[in-house]
Amino acid sequence: MQANRGDVNVKQITLTPIKFSSVALEFDELIPDEIYSWSKEDFEKYEVPVGNSRFPLTDYYDIEVEGEAQSPEEVKMIIDGDAGRVKYIGGKMGAGEIIVNGDADLQAGAEMEGGSLTINGNAESYCGREMRGGEITVMGNVREYAGTSYIGEWRGMSGGKLTIHGNAGKQLADAMSGGEIHVMGNCDILAGIHMTKGFIQIDGDVTRWPGGQMKNGAIVINGRLERLLEGFELDAIVTDPEVEGRQFTGKYIKYIGDIGVNGKGTLLLNAEKNRHHL
Amino acid sequence: MEYILKNGIVYDPINEINGEKKDVMFKDGKIVNSVSDSAKVIDVTDKLVMPAGIDVHCHLAGPKLCVGRLYRPEDERRGVKPKTDITRAETGFSIPNCPATGYRFSRMGYGTVVEAAVPPLEAKHTHEEIIAIPNIDIPPLTLFGNNWFIMQFAKEGRIDDIAAFVSAWLKITKGYGVKIVNPCGSEAWGWGMNVHGIDDPAPYWDVTAREVIRALAQANEMLGLPHSIHVHPNDLGHPGNFPTTINSIDCMKDIKKNSEYRNQTIHLTHAQFHCYDGTSWRDVTSGVEPVADYINKHDHVTADMGQVTLDETTTMTADGPMEYDLYELTGLKWANKDIELETASGLVPFIYSGRNPVHSLQWAIGLELALMIEDPWKICLTTDSPNAGPFIRYPRVMSWLMSYQRRAEMMDNKEVHAWAGRKSALGTLDREYDFYDIATITRAGPSKIYGFEDRGHLGAGAIADIAVYDLEPNNFDPTRNAAAVEKAFSNALYTIKDGQVLVKDGEIVKIVSSKHVRTEVEGFEDEEKRILEEIMPFFNRYYTIKFENYVVHDHYAEPSSVYKVNASK
Amino acid sequence: MAYEPPVTDYDEIVENCTCAFCGSNCDDVDILVKDNHVVGVRHACRLGASKIMEDEDQRLTVPMIRDENGELMEVDWDTALDRAAELIAGAVRPVFYGWSETSIEAMKPGLELTELVGAVIDNQATICHGPTVQAVQNVGYPLMTLGEVKNRADMVVYTGSNPMNAHPRHLARYTTFPKGFFRKRGRFDRTLVTWDPKYSDTAKLSDIWIPFEENGDYGFCNAIRAVLKGKELKQDFISGIPKEDIVALTEKMKNTQFGALFFGLGLTHTLSKQRNIDIAIQLVQDLNKYTKWVLLPMRGHFNVNGFNIFMAYEMGFPYGVDFCRGYPRYMIGETTTIDLLNRKECDVFMVIAADPGAHFPGGALAHLVDIPVIQIDIHWGPSTELADVVLPGTFIGVETAGTSYRMDSVPIYMKKAIDPPETCREDEWIVNELLQRVKKIKEASK
Repeated sequence: MQANRGDVNVKQITLTPIKFSSVALEFDELIPDEIYSWSKEDFEKYEVPVGNSRFPLTDYYDIEVEGEAQSPEEVKMIIDGDAGRVKYIGGKMGAGEIIVNGDADLQAGAEMEGGSLTINGNAESYCGREMRGGEITVMGNVREYAGTSYIGEWRGMSGGKLTIHGNAGKQLADAMSGGEIHVMGNCDILAGIHMTKGFIQIDGDVTRWPGGQMKNGAIVINGRLERLLEGFELDAIVTDPEVEGRQFTGKYIKYIGDIGVNGKGTLLLNAEKNRHHL
Repeated sequence: MEYILKNGIVYDPINEINGEKKDVMFKDGKIVNSVSDSAKVIDVTDKLVMPAGIDVHCHLAGPKLCVGRLYRPEDERRGVKPKTDITRAETGFSIPNCPATGYRFSRMGYGTVVEAAVPPLEAKHTHEEIIAIPNIDIPPLTLFGNNWFIMQFAKEGRIDDIAAFVSAWLKITKGYGVKIVNPCGSEAWGWGMNVHGIDDPAPYWDVTAREVIRALAQANEMLGLPHSIHVHPNDLGHPGNFPTTINSIDCMKDIKKNSEYRNQTIHLTHAQFHCYDGTSWRDVTSGVEPVADYINKHDHVTADMGQVTLDETTTMTADGPMEYDLYELTGLKWANKDIELETASGLVPFIYSGRNPVHSLQWAIGLELALMIEDPWKICLTTDSPNAGPFIRYPRVMSWLMSYQRRAEMMDNKEVHAWAGRKSALGTLDREYDFYDIATITRAGPSKIYGFEDRGHLGAGAIADIAVYDLEPNNFDPTRNAAAVEKAFSNALYTIKDGQVLVKDGEIVKIVSSKHVRTEVEGFEDEEKRILEEIMPFFNRYYTIKFENYVVHDHYAEPSSVYKVNASK
Repeated sequence: MAYEPPVTDYDEIVENCTCAFCGSNCDDVDILVKDNHVVGVRHACRLGASKIMEDEDQRLTVPMIRDENGELMEVDWDTALDRAAELIAGAVRPVFYGWSETSIEAMKPGLELTELVGAVIDNQATICHGPTVQAVQNVGYPLMTLGEVKNRADMVVYTGSNPMNAHPRHLARYTTFPKGFFRKRGRFDRTLVTWDPKYSDTAKLSDIWIPFEENGDYGFCNAIRAVLKGKELKQDFISGIPKEDIVALTEKMKNTQFGALFFGLGLTHTLSKQRNIDIAIQLVQDLNKYTKWVLLPMRGHFNVNGFNIFMAYEMGFPYGVDFCRGYPRYMIGETTTIDLLNRKECDVFMVIAADPGAHFPGGALAHLVDIPVIQIDIHWGPSTELADVVLPGTFIGVETAGTSYRMDSVPIYMKKAIDPPETCREDEWIVNELLQRVKKIKEASK
């Protein structure tokens, strides 16, 4: 049976977990860019990195392959179950689609360049690290360092869109230099630290210190912020602001910062929920 | 074991061999005039043969490098390679890990690389890294230009005592020669200040760069060290600095040379950073012409390029204040390391780009130096690695020097900004280096400048450090094939070190320990003892380490290659 | 403290030994030796002296293997080494942890072994100054050797650390009390400042104490930076400190001639972890626009910094380096020890010169109970209780010479004063033996 996505033919690869390994599997080689031409036999021959070894993928998954693909764009890979111990799902992927019907482990969508990754559970830390393009959707929560840069690298996430339906952990989007992150739940400390460009929207509440050491870019918080840094200067109360081409309705408190680094970043707080800062 | 390297096209400027088809023979690690019939034949018919390369100025081992590696994981992950059966894992682009440093030099056909800045207090660290770097011999230069004892003695004009101190400290640090970096300026950085020009005194010490350079040059010649003083003058990287550069060289031209092998009494390092005219980055222009003219007219000075390669790299120097200036300019992460009583240092990542007008001008200035200094024995190829670019780019620099067409093409098709042509004379310089010139600036010249009588040439008795490249000089036009030049010099067909084949077809086939190349002065022991006794109370009071634990023990310098110098000659 | 009469009954004094306790690496220690035993220690602090003085009752002297009944049984060296080598050779996710209390010379074969089997190598930085290293990687590292502080500093700040208890000679030997070249009157020429929620013994000695609230570090530094940029502070109290005090302190810091900031685990392990260091570093960078400022982490073990330096020059990354894919990989939270244990990934754990049994969080320890643990150490400790193979090493700086790096990265060759017990082996020898034996197993299975 040929699966179909719009008018594009789709090769559907379904991996159904049959065995759990507490040593994480690494899936950086199993991205559409690499596997679009693989047959079922190719998958069955494939050995997946586990710790310092490689073991047959078939030890861990039942594998179904339906249809043909001429290019990565035509691949739809489904991990049909928990992947809470599978790292680098969609790592460096350039095209195609990956769906995880469960949790994803560390580095999901790290250095992603294109295509889409959907996680119908929670994602561990480093989800969307250094993302350059494409789209990641996490239906649950993400832990620390979502959309972050690599340690020491001052040019972080530069493109694409990361949407988190749940909550985000600490240090979201460290050194972000482009792209878009939307957290629909709450967010922990220091979102957008060292940010130089790009856009972050947080619909829930934030504990403290968004935008620490930020140089530029924009953060919009629709929930309540507990603690604001002294590095942010009140600019104005604005109504129905437009931020980076996006329209928001209602009153917002607009700050500029972090002045500690001569920052020109924009921090918008929903005025209704953040009166305590005025 | 005997070998005969057969039918190569040999370039050996010290022995005035210019592209002759001949055999090179070696036995037990040394070049010989003849071998027996049982010698192993390595056929290199028509291939380019040179002595192994010698790098006169590189930062490759020691505390600064290590700070770089420690704080730039984003650089380290560039160039990651897994281990093989022979080699260990490699990491890094501008600041590779120690094993990669050795492999990459070896792959380019290099045999000797000078570590250009060793703070005595942390010299053990430098030697530990030399132990970890395979396949190349490393002479470390010890830093003296901001040493409190030197500054005090220079002020008092005590040249004999400086000579004794230098002689002792070369042994203590297991160093090869005398390095001077921003004399008096790095001490001023101890207070967050700098000095400008050679007559601006260091705070408190009230001594000037002129006095320090002269005093160390006199002491260097009194001892008759194999290398001259090696100077990074004041005002590095400042528009309008070229007069300081000329003054630094000119101020000591009367000092008499005490060496039969080398010609110079001062080596000006990374000259590119010291040849700027103008008053600011807005009106900066090339200042190469007056500096090159001075060097052309004087024989007491040699220089190396410090060529900008237009890469993202890591700057690092004992010139602490310069690095803070650079941090203020770029805003990129700044590291600093001041060393008690001795020196300073700093690091900042840097992105040289052909789109940037200043970087493009810097690129042009380095090439201008190599093309305007007439005598190739007076200029060496360096990138002040990693400061102006990583050492793996040397082959690219060679390709630029060998091809006017390639240089013109880069300026025409905007690989570099228009400033390169507009603010320098590079566009008018159609000189092209040939293989003999390349062998001179990367082998023969460095050998002379460092007093390495045993290397940099292929005469009988020299150590068998040889490079063979996959180019046929009689059947190849480097002026029209820049990419092929770069490729060939990046991947030696053979790199032979002490008579052993370490690289074949661009791949490492054997690992050997690097030698710590150092100088020991003989016949000055009494003077050393006297000066050590005199300074010991001061040492104990102001250093934070016991003298016994300050000395680099033999343990850190094996295997060594020691150049003995007789001070009484 | 009771009076202890000076030790007079000794054969010889070994001078200028280096103390193998904290990151101060005091190298002026005299060890008094009689009959190849340490009978006295001069110049060291009480922490250092008590470590150098032999405590034979806790000394590990013979190799041991845990038997089926869970008892550690004495065995010969071959048996113990072979058992350890088999465990390592058969592991899928081995972690080699520790290294901070041994020499660089012992780390070398350790790294080779790591590369050979594709293990993770990590040190105590992973539970102490790892956040510092991360911050350094983010924003820079303006540091100096300790003699710069001794000779020049007129303001010394300690934050998140209490050297009077943890690095007892730090103030006396390096920063505050000694007479420096430009500070001829020592303590009288310097202003000592402590930022710490606790009124610590160091705070008690200080001229200024800034008791910011717990977890307030980041907000406090951010406010100083804002003041430096000319901002008038809006909140009356920032991190529990009155804004006037922050302004006054900022002025003092700007108008000093040479300031030095020392920080400890109080900064690395509060709410915003490495970001506290991150912003403290940037603060010091800002201050250099006005005057000279430097900083230094108060490293704990005498060679914890040495391991980070060693790993950086050997493999380009400072700690938590994972070779499982054949090349080095460094990713905090993924390739670091505690995470690998908490996630129950590690299947063989080797600990050398460290005591995870005493220092690791519960979840990590729970996993250590479940997997084979190889211990190389000199003393019986909580980790011995977890160990399946025990390999008794020797005491660096007392029984075996070796290289260490002081907290300010000054390398020191630590000499030996006495010979090690005959039944023990040097760490370097043990690790190298493991390397050779694992190599043999690997070659045999090819």
